[in-house]
Amino acid sequence: MEKRSRSFYLLSAFFGLFVLFLYGPILTIGILSFQGPEGGLTFPMRGASLYWFYDLFEEQAVGDIWGSFRRSLALGLMVMVTTVVVSVLGGLAFRKKFAGSSLLFYLCIASLVIPSILISLGVGLIFNQIGLPVHWASSGFGSQLTWTLPFGLLIMFAVFNRFDKSYEEAARDQGATAWQTFAHVVLPIIAPSLIGVALFGFTLSYDEFARTLLTAGSYNTLPLEIFGMTTNVTTPVIFALGTLTTVFSFCIIGVFFLAVWLFSRRKDHSSDAGQGMV
Amino acid sequence: MTSVPKIRYSRRSLLKTGGAALAASALPAPMVWGQSIRDITLRQFGTGVSNLNEVATKVKEDLGITLEMTALDTDSVTQRAATQPDSFDIADIEYFVCKKVWPSGNLQAMDASRITNYDKIVGIFRDGKLTPESTIAQGTAPHTVGFVEGPGGTEFVNNESGWMTLIPTIYNADTLGIRPDLIGRPIESWSELLNSEFAGKASILDISSIGIMDMAMVCEAMGEIQYGDKGNMTRDEIDRTIAIFTEAKQNGQFRAFWKTFDESVNLMASGEVVIQSMWSPAITAVRSRGIPCVYQPLREGYRSWGGGIGLSANLSGMELDAAYDYINWYLSGWVGGFLMRQGYYSAVPETSKDFMSENEWGYWFEGKESTDDITSPFGDKLAGAGEVRDGGSFYDRMGAVACWNSVMEENQYMVRKWNEFIAA
Amino acid sequence: MAAVLLSFLVAPIVMIVIVSFWGATEYSIYPAFQFDNYEFLFGSSVTYRVFLNTFKYALITWAFTLVIGFTVAYYLAFEIRSLKWQIALFLLCTIPFWTSNIIRMISWIPFLGRNGLANSTLISWGVIDEPLEWLLFSDFSVILAFVHLYTLFMVVPIFNTMMRIDRALIEAARDQGASAWQSLTHVIIPLCKPGIMIGTIFVTTLVMGDFITVRFMSGSQRANVGRLISNDINLLQYPSASATAVVLLITVLIVIGLLLRLVDIRKEL
Repeated sequence: MEKRSRSFYLLSAFFGLFVLFLYGPILTIGILSFQGPEGGLTFPMRGASLYWFYDLFEEQAVGDIWGSFRRSLALGLMVMVTTVVVSVLGGLAFRKKFAGSSLLFYLCIASLVIPSILISLGVGLIFNQIGLPVHWASSGFGSQLTWTLPFGLLIMFAVFNRFDKSYEEAARDQGATAWQTFAHVVLPIIAPSLIGVALFGFTLSYDEFARTLLTAGSYNTLPLEIFGMTTNVTTPVIFALGTLTTVFSFCIIGVFFLAVWLFSRRKDHSSDAGQGMV
Repeated sequence: MTSVPKIRYSRRSLLKTGGAALAASALPAPMVWGQSIRDITLRQFGTGVSNLNEVATKVKEDLGITLEMTALDTDSVTQRAATQPDSFDIADIEYFVCKKVWPSGNLQAMDASRITNYDKIVGIFRDGKLTPESTIAQGTAPHTVGFVEGPGGTEFVNNESGWMTLIPTIYNADTLGIRPDLIGRPIESWSELLNSEFAGKASILDISSIGIMDMAMVCEAMGEIQYGDKGNMTRDEIDRTIAIFTEAKQNGQFRAFWKTFDESVNLMASGEVVIQSMWSPAITAVRSRGIPCVYQPLREGYRSWGGGIGLSANLSGMELDAAYDYINWYLSGWVGGFLMRQGYYSAVPETSKDFMSENEWGYWFEGKESTDDITSPFGDKLAGAGEVRDGGSFYDRMGAVACWNSVMEENQYMVRKWNEFIAA
Repeated sequence: MAAVLLSFLVAPIVMIVIVSFWGATEYSIYPAFQFDNYEFLFGSSVTYRVFLNTFKYALITWAFTLVIGFTVAYYLAFEIRSLKWQIALFLLCTIPFWTSNIIRMISWIPFLGRNGLANSTLISWGVIDEPLEWLLFSDFSVILAFVHLYTLFMVVPIFNTMMRIDRALIEAARDQGASAWQSLTHVIIPLCKPGIMIGTIFVTTLVMGDFITVRFMSGSQRANVGRLISNDINLLQYPSASATAVVLLITVLIVIGLLLRLVDIRKEL
């Protein structure tokens, strides 16, 4: 390995600071979540214990954390699957020019940039005027798709733009049907990116607040529940939840990283994997 | 699609929303005919003040009804009651909100003859008078929006017609909360909120309909504005009130604004704020952490509010019966005791008495010196022996109400001005 | 795809535009065609101030996220040589995003508060005697939270374009005697422009549409357009919220339109 320049160390330090900045608040809540039973949401600390972690699994005075967690999980998975399927299909479709393709493309961009609360407001208004009940799995689901689909699609564009068509041609030349070509050639190549899309779709949905705000109906999703908690709960239980999700994410990402690593060792398509994720 | 076992559509809501909901959600839907009251699920929403899971647990135990609670902030509660009639069976709302919600037709009037303890409900919610001699305060007093002329009534009537919009649940007299340890001198008037001594350490609530009343109390106490009726201001009065507070805001008087009572707890407990508009349970919560906090009685009197539960217009048959059972249970004492021990008042105090110790009843209701430790229903110590509740007895406190939370005729104008105040 | 976008994107927007001309009572909205909502909106000086404030937040946040994001992306793309490390460090940056952003946001409050970590640390070091009041519930805290939440949206696209820069170009520049700084400004930055643009679009739209960060971090003391809208929604004033939304939408689209003129996204993917 060649010798590192001075700028490397400078930038490393900068990066370190950046990571610290990202994790700073997480550390704060990490510390505060270990308070004693008398603790509040702010410093100074009052005692130290695991009390609030136990409390998290007890019934809260208001709300229903685990119910909303299950809903968010279900919604996240629904959004994830839909996003992956639709963006692959969309990506495939966009490889050829078709009527209205650029309109659709700009619609996607528009969908990405329009402030979430507008979608929320609009969908809420429509359901209201038509007289349909809003529900997280109908209106909430749809509103979230306006955010995850364009994301997934853009990633797929990036992937297909760099896709070497000669693989497919080779497969076709060998007599593979269109479906076989897709299943055995295209899919394995784009698989790492699909993991990226899936992860993206899930995360965006799982964490989406504004779009679900007016479209979730009578049952809260997790972010809405947390929002409710910030206004209804005065105990560190909410921080315990934060700490727990962070630890949980570390595990998931660890597993994911391991999977990609194994995958890239097997397939040696690691460069695609790296780009798909970003 | 993944199904979530916990969510269950009751037969009624399923029939009502029909295939659309089914197709959209694909959730399992048990079609059980001839269900008994024990299988009934009622969906209730309200603020975190009274929408407590303990109530749901207890009602499940006593009646077998499953109560699904959703807690929201005050504005969201109004919003849901007015715009999403399908999303609830029972609305736990404040009386003044009635003026907004009732005309939408989302609630149904309740037959007072089916309310067992109707006769024991305090006068405030019936003829408006706490005692026969009391005068009625300004604002939207609960009795003025408490009754309609009949089952399908749309107009509020000024007498006990036997058809109620809401069943009163809890109410209280609000004032300013202070941190005596950080202020170090007596506070006696609402005008202290804008005292420059507390610059950067004051707060007011960002709920327009309530905040404007607190503002009015302050402006009147300062001698800046004489209101005709604080509960029904003119445009000019609104403008002048907001102007005074906008100036104070721009001078850095406020540390923050809060929207739900728990936010006020955090502001107070962390010492960010030393004087602010506050609600009783917030004081209780601050104190239960061992931090001194006083719900300061002020010479201009209290700003009062009342909450109640209303029935969704969609309720009928067995669900409606269950809802009446629930209401009767609500007024039968356990909930009242549970809430009174947090500093609210129950609509039927006599029944609650049985669920409180003599010491608790004396402290919370009669304003007597406590003979032993006072603890909250959650077991936190709130006061030791020999302490007296701030403001004294029920009659002292509810008798000194200067104004009720209200919806004014110029409400829309006020809301816009309020929005400007927050944005200024 | 098109159906989803039509029913959940186009239709809502159309609805908002329609409703913005409606009237409202205390509890409901009724169809009408009136300009009241716009009249009130444009008639109030607060509206202009709020829009100005929104732009201010967007601009400052953009500047910070750009500088930080570019530096981080540069570090990851050019200073880290092995892909495995790039991915690992990258993931390190994304993990905090898995904690609900509301939790992340409110966790600044105990950090910055009057008795918070920052103040007590500074006091114990003897840097200050009195707690700094402006750390929390101020423009500072709002922007801090924005930068914290959205820097990654800048890092990702810039990193993406950097990875596609042909290393030979940089070698060539160096061979021609360009200093590190010169190759940065003359080669890398121009080539990263698409990534910077995409990041810019993300950050500006996210900041302009935000309402919850502003509410929490300013203690409801500051306002941007999103908050104006959400206040109206909370108070059931849907038509007036819609009118504000329409104006915001037009503003955002103009900004994005300008940005898109500078870069052809489709080609750059």
